[in-house]
Amino acid sequence: MVHKQLPLKHYFIEPLWKNNQVLVAILGICSALAVTTTLITALTMGIAVSLVTGFSCLFVSLLRKWTPDSVRMITQLAIISAFVIVVDQFLRAYFYDISKTLSVFVGLIITNCIVMGRTESMAKNVPPIPAFLDGLSGGLGYGWILVLVAGIREFFGFGQLFKYQLIPASFYASAENPDGYQNLGLMVLAPAAFFIIGFFIWISNSITKDS
Amino acid sequence: MSPPVNRKNSNLYILIFIILLCTACGLLLAIVAYSLKGPQEAAKTFDQSKQMLIAAKVLNHQGEFTLIQEDGSLLLAYLDKQEGILKAVQDKKVAPATKEEIQQLAAWRIRPLLTDSEGNISTLKAHNLSLADYLSSNKGGGYATLPHKLFYAILSNDATVKNLSEEEVAKEMEKVSIIVIPVSGFGLWAPIYGYLAIQRKDADSVIGTSWYEHGETPGLGANITEAWWQKQFYGKLIFQEGSDGKTDFSTGEMGIIVVKGKVKDVFGASPKSKSAVDGMSGATLTGDGVTKAYRDSLSPYRNFFIQLRKEEGNGTQATST
Repeated sequence: MVHKQLPLKHYFIEPLWKNNQVLVAILGICSALAVTTTLITALTMGIAVSLVTGFSCLFVSLLRKWTPDSVRMITQLAIISAFVIVVDQFLRAYFYDISKTLSVFVGLIITNCIVMGRTESMAKNVPPIPAFLDGLSGGLGYGWILVLVAGIREFFGFGQLFKYQLIPASFYASAENPDGYQNLGLMVLAPAAFFIIGFFIWISNSITKDS
Repeated sequence: MSPPVNRKNSNLYILIFIILLCTACGLLLAIVAYSLKGPQEAAKTFDQSKQMLIAAKVLNHQGEFTLIQEDGSLLLAYLDKQEGILKAVQDKKVAPATKEEIQQLAAWRIRPLLTDSEGNISTLKAHNLSLADYLSSNKGGGYATLPHKLFYAILSNDATVKNLSEEEVAKEMEKVSIIVIPVSGFGLWAPIYGYLAIQRKDADSVIGTSWYEHGETPGLGANITEAWWQKQFYGKLIFQEGSDGKTDFSTGEMGIIVVKGKVKDVFGASPKSKSAVDGMSGATLTGDGVTKAYRDSLSPYRNFFIQLRKEEGNGTQATST
């Protein structure tokens, strides 16, 4: 098989940029719109998706020789959902505040196309270690885009980064100073993420085309 | 290693494979759920007492202790563990309260008590109830509709009250500064649960509110959990004044109205505006649910509030305020 000749490093590096799941494969967009209003949630989501994808790929790959072809999708989904529930339960126990804001979206990792995309296109064809690395970095590739988008949205939408106020309160418009600065309300809404991700895809396309 | 192709595609093999896979996944989840149950419950309970303290303005959204002043302004404070009271800090900075401090303060200051439809106060112990069981078995239907309705008494910030038992507090309500009523209802997507903190003295004006469980849309309806929205509640009246500016305590409407838009555009300076707060744009249905939750959760406590007012010597007839 072709995959076996590639160095392990390749599996980890490839999905971060050249085969980035958000920028190149345009997967996982729906959750990228939803959880990128603040950096904390985007970061948590990125880590959660990385872990779920990594471990799902690992187990799909471990079982690849025993999995009958006709039920391989169901097998992948069962493994993915088990890990998603584990992550959800873990967040609920130790990061209650974050799990309150992320609740719905953590459950929706199951339907995140990245996880199934990686298990179906890579993990079921390669040995466990490369599969794990590929899955992990597939999630990380999604995570760093999310963090970037969230950084832009949080800064312009709330004037904050990681809930830390960066734009001083004195800049803001008030009764005495009606012409002052105002947060960009559009950034808080989902369409803003749509534009920003579109912009990123455009940049990444023009860079890859040049090289 | 791998089984031969023809055997791998037989129905029996597929069936056994799937059954084994599901059993393994099920087992994993059962173990995880079982072993994380303790920390999850603890996190939930802690969050509820935190939200209750936020409603009572003892804690702010940044997790710092605060002392509420007569005029409604807040002073940052720290917990003096020797005396067991909160003390205001002189400079403007204070470290966020630790988990232990919050739990300690909750144990010193919060007492769960029951009241019946006549307004008599009793303890959970008097009815052989445990708080945890009471909370979990009645959560769905709300506590307001029960014969024995739950409320929380928040004791005053005073070193002498921290060792008072629930029985003692039930008899001496003047040691209590704030009454917290559990509020529940339906938001746009799911049930919502929260608290409304009310001054014990006049049993009418609101200190604050908070929500500990909801399924509202982040950025829209979920703004009910944000500090800037909850800020407007201070000083609002739960007994709505009639259009003549008089409050009819025994039959008048109760609750806090979340209007669509701004209060001053909807009610102007009419008496109703004293019991109304601004809505959140894009979340009118959440606002309606919240309005209904306050009305339905507060009305059954009417006699309890009237009783509290009588003890303080406040009138309960239709009076002009």
